Amino acid sequence: MINGKTSAKGISRRTALKGLAASTALAATPFSIARAQSDVTLRWWSPQAAPAQVEAYQLQIANFKAATGIDVQFETTSDEGYAPQLAAAFSSGEVPDIVTHLPSFAVQSYYANGLIEPFNDVIDAIGADDYFPGANDVFRAADGNYCGTGIGNSAANMLWLRRDLMAAAGIDKAPETWDELRAAVSAMQTGGLFGAPLPYGRNSMTSLIFIGFIHQAGGQVFTPDLDVAIDNEGTRNALEFYREMREFCPPGATNYSWGESLTAFVSGATATGIYTGRVLANVNNQNPGIAEHVTCVRYPRISTDVAPWTFNDFPSVFIPAQSKNIEAAKQFGAFLFDPEGYIKQLHAAPGHVLPVLQSINNNPMYQDNDIIQRYSAEVELMAESAAGGFNLGYESAAHKSNEKAGEIIGSNVISELVQKVVINGDNADTALSDASMAIEAIVKG
Amino acid sequence: MTASRNAQEAVSHRRHLMARNTGTLLERRYAMLGVMLIAPTVVVFCAVIVYPLLSAIYLSFFSIFTPTLQGDFVGLNNYAELLSTGTFWSSLGTTLIWTVGTLSLQILFGVGMALVLHQNMWFRSLARSLILFPYFISTVVAVLVWKWLFNDLYGIMNHFLISLGIISFPMDYLGTMPNAMISVILVGAWKYFPFVVIAVLARLQTIPDQLYEAAKIDGAGPIARFFDVTLPQLRDVLVVIILLRAIWDFKEFDLIFLLTGGGPLNDTQTLPLLVYQEAFALNDMGNASAYAVMMMLIMLVFMLVYIRRTRSEEET
Repeated sequence: MINGKTSAKGISRRTALKGLAASTALAATPFSIARAQSDVTLRWWSPQAAPAQVEAYQLQIANFKAATGIDVQFETTSDEGYAPQLAAAFSSGEVPDIVTHLPSFAVQSYYANGLIEPFNDVIDAIGADDYFPGANDVFRAADGNYCGTGIGNSAANMLWLRRDLMAAAGIDKAPETWDELRAAVSAMQTGGLFGAPLPYGRNSMTSLIFIGFIHQAGGQVFTPDLDVAIDNEGTRNALEFYREMREFCPPGATNYSWGESLTAFVSGATATGIYTGRVLANVNNQNPGIAEHVTCVRYPRISTDVAPWTFNDFPSVFIPAQSKNIEAAKQFGAFLFDPEGYIKQLHAAPGHVLPVLQSINNNPMYQDNDIIQRYSAEVELMAESAAGGFNLGYESAAHKSNEKAGEIIGSNVISELVQKVVINGDNADTALSDASMAIEAIVKG
Repeated sequence: MTASRNAQEAVSHRRHLMARNTGTLLERRYAMLGVMLIAPTVVVFCAVIVYPLLSAIYLSFFSIFTPTLQGDFVGLNNYAELLSTGTFWSSLGTTLIWTVGTLSLQILFGVGMALVLHQNMWFRSLARSLILFPYFISTVVAVLVWKWLFNDLYGIMNHFLISLGIISFPMDYLGTMPNAMISVILVGAWKYFPFVVIAVLARLQTIPDQLYEAAKIDGAGPIARFFDVTLPQLRDVLVVIILLRAIWDFKEFDLIFLLTGGGPLNDTQTLPLLVYQEAFALNDMGNASAYAVMMMLIMLVFMLVYIRRTRSEEET
């Protein structure tokens, strides 16, 4: 038997206040969930599952349960594995109730096939006006509904630099153009230290990063009306520059994906890096000796006449249409943005996932973080870059949403294009023509 | 008299009928019992073998979007497309290179190690246990370990070769050809050769010592004894091992997928990886099923040889 005294002993004042705050937040949401639904357990999938992140998720889950009685079970998926797992889930009907941190183009693809619940009311519950301007544009579907929302922003192709190595090489400013970058990595590459950890593997990172190079050369993969347009001068220039950069990358870069590229810079094996703000936490935890020298800028482009292009995969939240607990999932979706839990989640990888809500960005609790304070200029730049960022599903503000982006990335057509030209030394025109036809075939289905 | 005989015949006929009916009833009961005993096996067999097989064949006649499993009937189009494009044939070639390469090394290492472990040596029991370690370790763990060994920046392989002066610059083991294929084949051989060791060692222990003694008396040296006594005795078990491992290696997925992902380009993309890409990256379950059915037909050849082989052994 649990009496009041025992119960009071079991819950601290702080926990009780947290629960009260959570309940208040929930009371403001429009979803008609009966309280204390102890028989409902939501399944939550995410590929972002570093220990500190999972710890933050557990706090959000506990707060949600305290407020509603609804339990949530967190399950990990991965960046490379979510597609098959979700395909199996959708086809069997055994879907998770809520999914977070998948790229926006995957969400658009699922929504286009009727697999996802419209998210408009959740966005309203969170507060549509609180988002950074345009933050939800990438989630607007062809029917005018929102297929999901961003749980964060990411600036995934920032150029990470080390001031100490730049000073030693006599480089007085961060490179803005490819010529400057090439000269800088050439000067910094000395015995045992490589210039850059660019990916040349047959994987999604190579495709996603190289699409950035295409845009940084003034090219595009699709026209705004989604006709295939990868066979252009910008792509040729990007291929040429990417080929030239190979000599400044470690030999194993031909098999690099996100993890290897990040580790190469954080460990000090390369003079520059290309990644999100996760670099900051990893450098401070794993290689604090270089922490004071680390900084980042937008990745250089072919010339200053071309606008910078930041790759933002727009980490998302969405609810599968086959969920048996849609209303509860929507309530949890909105609850994920409750300041206490959301800020803890963002602090789990400071600078890696950036807030999409202005109120959170300006919240003193969010700013109260050692890394965010120490690297305030870098975090600010990443937030600004990510807010104006794009990806293959949303190549520019003029582009329509591309539902085939996930399949194009998954097919490795673009990473194979890079490998053909850079590793095999194939003729760029022929390789581009082949890639163009392959993308055309995917688009036609 | 006649009436009495007729009555006797009628009684005899009735008895005969009763006996026959009793026999039939018993047989029926036994038959029913047999059916009931075998039913669970049949149900499980149908659920895990027959249904997926028929389902794959059925799906291969459709163009199907994987997440929804909705699509249109396309008849034999998937097969026609598959056979007319180079992807299937190049992946088949890669699969054969991988299978032949890794299987040859497995047999070579396996037989060699079994011969060593058959000798009287210190810590033989411990060595026999440790040799099984690669086979029992999870593929994911094994691949992670090997990826670290192969790592260009911190891997011990490069460190070792550079410190010996064999190379002056780190080698790229997984990102260029032919290194990637050689690395995959070597890791596959390391992972699966213990199976060969177990099977061959078991057979070695049953070869009569008299055969070796007779060979020695006839003046045969160690090499001659191996080729004239040991190898002929191992022949049957090796045939079975080769057939089984050929089937298993042909459909190997996780080891190659985790090591190279099929790259560089498509140079280590075997048929199972191609099926995976079609099904889940391109969301084309129909095409993926067609590839899977073709794989099954190829493996059927191995299976038929295996079945024929085991049957002939049973007969002898």
